[in-house]
Amino acid sequence: MSVDKRMTLKEAVSKFILEGDTLYYGGFQIMVPMALTYEIIRQRKKHLNILSTSTDAGGLDLLVAAGCIDEMHLAWAMNWCARAPHAIQRAFQDGELKRHDISNFGATGALMAGYLGVPFFPVRGNIGTDVVKYNSADVRIIDDPFTGKPITVVRAWRADVALIHAQRADHLGNVVAWGTHGNGDQHGAMGSKRGVIVTAEEIVDPEMVRSDPDRTLIPYYKTLAVVPCPWGAHPSACRGFYGLDVRFAQYQGKYMKKKEIVPHFLNEWIYGVKDHKAYIQKYVNTFGQEALERLKPILGFKPQMEVDYGYHDPNIWEGVPPYTDMHIRG
Amino acid sequence: MTGNFKPTELMVIRCAQEIIDGEVVFAGVGLPLLVIGFAMATHAKNIILFTEGGSIRATPPPGLAITVDDPALFCKGDGTFGMLATMAALQRGEVDVAFIGGAQIDKYGNINSTGVGNWNKPETFTYFAGSGGASDMAACGKRILAIIPQDPKRFVERVDYLSAPGFLDGPGARERLDMQGNGPSVVVSTMGVYKFDSHTKEMYLSEYFPGQSVEKIRANCSFDLDVAHDVKETEEPSEDELTILRDLDPTSFYLS
Repeated sequence: MSVDKRMTLKEAVSKFILEGDTLYYGGFQIMVPMALTYEIIRQRKKHLNILSTSTDAGGLDLLVAAGCIDEMHLAWAMNWCARAPHAIQRAFQDGELKRHDISNFGATGALMAGYLGVPFFPVRGNIGTDVVKYNSADVRIIDDPFTGKPITVVRAWRADVALIHAQRADHLGNVVAWGTHGNGDQHGAMGSKRGVIVTAEEIVDPEMVRSDPDRTLIPYYKTLAVVPCPWGAHPSACRGFYGLDVRFAQYQGKYMKKKEIVPHFLNEWIYGVKDHKAYIQKYVNTFGQEALERLKPILGFKPQMEVDYGYHDPNIWEGVPPYTDMHIRG
Repeated sequence: MTGNFKPTELMVIRCAQEIIDGEVVFAGVGLPLLVIGFAMATHAKNIILFTEGGSIRATPPPGLAITVDDPALFCKGDGTFGMLATMAALQRGEVDVAFIGGAQIDKYGNINSTGVGNWNKPETFTYFAGSGGASDMAACGKRILAIIPQDPKRFVERVDYLSAPGFLDGPGARERLDMQGNGPSVVVSTMGVYKFDSHTKEMYLSEYFPGQSVEKIRANCSFDLDVAHDVKETEEPSEDELTILRDLDPTSFYLS
C-alpha cells in the first residue's frame, strides 16, 4: 500500500463531503477540526447532519450560522468562551435546525456501537430524563433481557465521513495523536462508512509512525484524505502545539451573538480568505505575531519512560528439544 | 472576617467542604473544576479527579482548567483515558461524588442544563449547550453535588427540560428505573446550602450565606421551600481561603 493521500483542504472537502452527508465532528474542547469547518463553510456545503459527543470553540455554531447544517445529534455544543451557542439558539427557534439531544455517554455509546458494528448499545445515563421523551430516534428504554430491569439503549451512529484534527499523520493516512483521548474520535472515525478526512499539524514518514504504533489513533486504510494543516484546530487547542485562543473565541462569539453582524465575520474570516494559511496570516495581520506566540504552550513535558517494542524471535526454538519429565513420559 | 468576598467565592469554598479527602470526584464543566482545584489545594489532597474528557489524576492540574478536556488536566495526569473510561467507571459505581452545575433545579433536585422554554414550541426555547455528561453522572454517581447560582428562574417548581435526574417525581422513582446512584445530596447556590429529606426526597434549606436570610432566599425560589428547624448561617471564608481561591483563578475566568 503506497497511495499518497495528501491533498489540500479545498480538494479534500470538495471531493469527499457531499451535500446531505452525515458527518462525525471530531475533537471535544480541544482538537476541534476548525480548518475543516471553515472550508466547509467556504464551499457552502448544505444539508449536513452532524454526529458528535460534545464540542466547543464555536465550530458547530459557525456551521449553523452559515446555513450548512440541518440536523445535529449530540450532547453538548458551545462556544464556552462566549458562554452560549448563539447561532444554534437562533436556528432552533427559527425552525431551521433539528436537535437530537443525548447524554455524553449516550453519544459515546452510539459511536461505540458504530465502531463495533452492532445496532445499539446499552448505557445507564439518559434514563428518567426528557432526552428519552424527545429523542426516540437515538434513545430508547428496553427491558434487560437477562434481569428484566429497565435500561437505556442508544442507536449505533455511523457517519458517512469523519472529520478529525490530529498532531501527526503520514502520507498513507495513519493518524497519530496523544495527550488526550477525548471522547469519540477513534470510534467515530472507525465507524464511519466512507472514511476519514484528517488535518494534521505535521506530516511524518510512515516509518516514524510504525516505530510507535501505540500512538496511532486511526490506521491508514480508513483515511480518505490527509491535509497538512498547521494551526488546523485554531481557535481550539492542539496538545503540545498551541492552547485554546480564549480571546479569539470570545471575539467570534460576539459576532455570533447578533444575527445582523454574523455575515461580517463569515465574509472577513472565512469567505474572504482563500485557505487556512491565509486565515492564520490574516490573524497575524489583525492581532499581531505576539497573539500567535501567546498560544504556544509550556513545553518540556516529555515522557520519561523509554519504551522498547522488542519482540521475541521464534527461531530460537530451532534445535531445542521439547521439555519433558517422567509424568509426561508416563 | 472581612465580609469582603463575592457570593460565587463563598459558593465555591462551601461546595469544596462537601468533598471528603480520598474520594473519587467526577467534575463537570464550569465551576466544579474550580471547586476541585480548591479542594485539592486545601483539605482534600488525596481526591481522585475524573472528567468527561477522560482525565484521571491524583494531583492538581498545573494550571486552571477551563474545560473538561483542557490540556492542563492531562499534563502530568495519571492517564489520558478518554471519555469512555471515566464514564465506564461511573457506570461501574466507582464514583463517590458526581459534581454538576446547571441552569435550573427543582425541589426534587432534577437539573436542567439543556435550555429554557417549551421544547415542543421551538420558538420559545432557548438552548444552552446541552446536557453533556450531567445525566450520566446524576444517574450513576454515589451521590450528587450540585452548584447553581440562585434566582427565582433557576430554583423552579418544575424544570423546563429534565437533563439530569434528581429524585424525579419523588420517593421510589430512581429505584423503579434501576439507577445506580443514590441521587442528589447537597446543592450549593449563591445564597445558601440545601439538603434533601430522606423520606419525601424534597430539598430543604440547611444554611444561608452571610448577608442572606431565609426570607430573601424564599423570595429567590419559585417553589415552596422547606427550611430546616436548625437552619444556620454559613461560616464566612477566611482570608487564607480567599487568597488560595483567587490564586487558582487569577483572571477571574470563573469568579467574575
